[in-house]
Amino acid sequence: MSEKAYGMTVGKKVGNGFMATILNTIMIVFSLSCIFPLVWMFYSSLKLKREFNANIVGLPPAPTLDNYKQILTNADYHIADSMINSVRTTILSVFLIVMFGFVVGYILARVKFKGNRIIWLMLLMGMLIPVHSLLVPIYIVFNRTGLNNQWYTLLIPYIAFGMPIAVFLIHSYLKGIPIALEEAASIDGSGFTGTLFKIIMPICRPVMVTIAIIQTFACWNEFSFALVLLRDVGLHTVPLAMTQFTGQFSSDYPKIMAAMLITMSPIVIMYFGFSKNIIKGMVAGVVKG
Amino acid sequence: MLTRRPPLRVIIGYLMIPLALYIFAVFIPLMTAAFYSLFEWKGGPNKTFIGVANYVTLIKDKVFWLSFSHNLYLILLCVIGQVGIAFVFVMMINTRSVKLKSIHRTFGFFPSTIAAVYVGFIWTMIYDSRRGVLNWLLALIGRDDLKQVWLNNSDLVMTLVSIPLIWQYIGYYMLILLSATSSIDKEIFESAELDGANAVQRSIHIVLPMIKSTIIVCLVLCVSGNMKVFDNIFVMTSGGPGNDSMVMAMYGYKISFIQQNMGYGSAISVGIFVLGLLVIGAMQLFSNKFSKD
Amino acid sequence: MKRSKIILSLMLSIVLAISLLAGCGGNETTTAPAADTTTTTAAPADDTDETTAAPDASGDGYAGELTLMHFSTSEESQGNGGSDGFRTVIANWETANPDIALNQTVLANDEYKTQVATLASADDLPDVFLLQGMNTKLWAEQGLIMDMTKIIEDSPHYADYNTSYFTPFTDGDKIYGLPVLTGGTCTVIVYDKAAWAEAGFEEFPKTWAEVEEANEYFTANGYTESIAFGNSGKWQMNSCFLSTLGDRFTGPEWFQSIIDKGGAAFTDEPFVKALDYTGMLFQSGVFNDDFNAINNEDAREYYISGETPAFIGGNWDVSYIGATLLETDPERYENTGFAVLPQPEGATGSENSQNIGLGYAVAINSKLADDADKLAAAIDLAYYVTGPDFASYVAENYALGGLTQVSNVDLSAFDQFTQDFYNYSYIDTAACEIYDSYVDGAVWDVLNTELQNLTNGSTDGATVAQLTQEAYEANY
Repeated sequence: MSEKAYGMTVGKKVGNGFMATILNTIMIVFSLSCIFPLVWMFYSSLKLKREFNANIVGLPPAPTLDNYKQILTNADYHIADSMINSVRTTILSVFLIVMFGFVVGYILARVKFKGNRIIWLMLLMGMLIPVHSLLVPIYIVFNRTGLNNQWYTLLIPYIAFGMPIAVFLIHSYLKGIPIALEEAASIDGSGFTGTLFKIIMPICRPVMVTIAIIQTFACWNEFSFALVLLRDVGLHTVPLAMTQFTGQFSSDYPKIMAAMLITMSPIVIMYFGFSKNIIKGMVAGVVKG
Repeated sequence: MLTRRPPLRVIIGYLMIPLALYIFAVFIPLMTAAFYSLFEWKGGPNKTFIGVANYVTLIKDKVFWLSFSHNLYLILLCVIGQVGIAFVFVMMINTRSVKLKSIHRTFGFFPSTIAAVYVGFIWTMIYDSRRGVLNWLLALIGRDDLKQVWLNNSDLVMTLVSIPLIWQYIGYYMLILLSATSSIDKEIFESAELDGANAVQRSIHIVLPMIKSTIIVCLVLCVSGNMKVFDNIFVMTSGGPGNDSMVMAMYGYKISFIQQNMGYGSAISVGIFVLGLLVIGAMQLFSNKFSKD
Repeated sequence: MKRSKIILSLMLSIVLAISLLAGCGGNETTTAPAADTTTTTAAPADDTDETTAAPDASGDGYAGELTLMHFSTSEESQGNGGSDGFRTVIANWETANPDIALNQTVLANDEYKTQVATLASADDLPDVFLLQGMNTKLWAEQGLIMDMTKIIEDSPHYADYNTSYFTPFTDGDKIYGLPVLTGGTCTVIVYDKAAWAEAGFEEFPKTWAEVEEANEYFTANGYTESIAFGNSGKWQMNSCFLSTLGDRFTGPEWFQSIIDKGGAAFTDEPFVKALDYTGMLFQSGVFNDDFNAINNEDAREYYISGETPAFIGGNWDVSYIGATLLETDPERYENTGFAVLPQPEGATGSENSQNIGLGYAVAINSKLADDADKLAAAIDLAYYVTGPDFASYVAENYALGGLTQVSNVDLSAFDQFTQDFYNYSYIDTAACEIYDSYVDGAVWDVLNTELQNLTNGSTDGATVAQLTQEAYEANY
């Protein structure tokens, strides 16, 4: 066990160990800070409004489930309806965003045709549109066409505004994938549609999963379109239902957080529960090129 | 690009529905806004055509240009903070020495899923002058002289409101970059011994070029997102003190809804859109030049 | 070749879209000047006046849908007497009118304002909704809301109305709504009588000089400052401070002249003085140093926790402070008193004023003029929710008052805190106007933003007045 004999390796190991500790610490601190809001929301939901207002970050002095009881028993809050609406809207929107994004992204990346660049530019423009100050025109357009205040109303803006990101991500992902694969398939007699769905789609799985995750949360949380385009309380999505807890001059934040945790629970559990599978899915599609 | 192009009707068939939907929900409202921006319109059925007068006002509107400068500052901080840090974190997660990889991947994304009002809450409490963590830390290290009402400091307020934004979206870009690096051979990350200089060089010279197009998408996302940023800042400061943390989208919203000047509000949306195109265009020129060098 | 074809077709479709919109827009503008629309709305309104008397008695001549939008959410009604009363009377009305399907859209206040503004812009307002005072003139001009002058005069409860509440909803000699919910003060000093007695003041000081004197005592004796205030939302300084302090300098005629465009200007000397005085006060250390970084909800916690011996806010803060102290600190609850703002030096107006009013009114969509039965139902609803049933409900349960006055309110059932606040709000003080119930949102938005700069010491009263005046001239 002479120090000299192991000098080099130990030194290097200590160096590595030191480096590794720093890296690990940074990542752990970051991850903890990211999860803190969830923890904070949970323990805050066990407070009364006045306890929360008196001390926003403190632990609940006398934890209570009152907020949960009230939310689950008061029919005025229509939590269940709004969740059904949100689930339906989110699932349909995300599915269509991913599919449209995939198809459009693939065509823009691989097929040379006049107008390719224009479409690309148009999609880019969509990302620059300030939604908040466009609410009135959007309302007017939807109202004129009678498309507002329907169960499918929100799908339209969600898909349209979600598509550019999806297209760009697919587009950029495909740039890293060699074209030889498709050319080979094409030579083997596979048609365009066959190649698209049988060969390219599995390869794109990691990025499609990423798009799905991003868009699921985006659609679930979207507020402005829902506010302006829906009028029937029966069509309200979760973020709209949450606003009922906000008063003109005071808001019951612990109750809002309890309601948020209840309504977010399916999607958060899904995300955390399946995160391993999701990540596996992201890695499974890897092609060594 | 494919050498054997599929028939045009197939392409049109695939593109028609998504693009029609897109044009209906994105372009027609934008056109409508462009059209309304030519009117004096205080909300309601009556409008008066005033030509480009709203744009003349916009060009002279000091608050709008102040807001634009705030947006540019935010973009600068967020490109470095969000995309930059996300890239570094992704490199770190891909090294062998970082443990709990899946936890970092899962947790990191979480803040971007919470509504802005809660993120605003937490950070307002960090900055709070009496009960806040920041002043408490300063007292702890004996720098009571630095304690202040943070969000009321005109010079610092833009930086202070951008920090929560950066923190919130690091995980978002991490997720995107991770999916891009998933197509890179693991051995590239793991072959070399972990050694500071090597790791950095490897990241810059090997990994960066491989995911360059994804990085560009991230930058475009980051720039466009920050051109229209709204919620977080609204929750934390409402643009105050005065207009010291006003940003363009919030200003447009205020003009349209609080001041009920829908015509001018529409002109502001068009302004934000055009400035966004210019900034992205400038960015692309810059990156083209950069990659040629 | 092909490329240019695609560009061409794209351009064509854009042109098509624009022309389509232009067509629609053209119809909307219909080259009809404002005068034209007012006459068209006025005429049917007159027609219906004859019909109102009959269905008014029965109120159930109409069967069908009636849409109503308001912001008294179930949550809001817990602890807010006005909302609770409003929801209660709506439910009563629904039961009494089973043939009418009352289709309610209830949103929280912020969202309500956004949606109503959107609907107004698209000329698609619901049948009955709540109108904010400062929108009255604008929307009346646009022909969106019905002239209710005759309807109000024909009301069975007209004799009991507190007519001063109508002013924010008046344009010229026309009234556009029945003020709704409860009238509450927007500016009240809530103070700890025991603490101020220790500082040598048996009641709250009458001058700001005395407040500064007390401040020396307080800061030397464990308090961080004398008065807590929160203005991060920007509207608080206007609604809960300047509106009353301005009245002390300018008197009510000046503001009436601002409303009527009668020649008064924000740059008039008394108002500039009020601004400078406000700036000076907030720089003097009497208030918490973070007043521009926290909102009223945080500031009142300073009072509740005992850090600060007084707080300035509105009636909504008082009900929260009362409910909280009752549970956490009954002694402070007993000791809490209410006072008007001290008189500033050099001010010549009323020494006892506080701003109070009803911020919203039940308004009726002008399109209902075409459907007499539906209109009658809407009018019946408007009478009912602002009438004696509502007023007695809020008086008996919350010691609050609305549009319809109830005689002989028996306060003895309420504790001292509630009685004191009732007396402060309705009996012992002189009423003045709430600025932002009038004029135009654009003016107040500019003033509110500049007030933050002013109270931070980064600008002066004359500049603020100048900018506000510019916004006033441009928008009103």
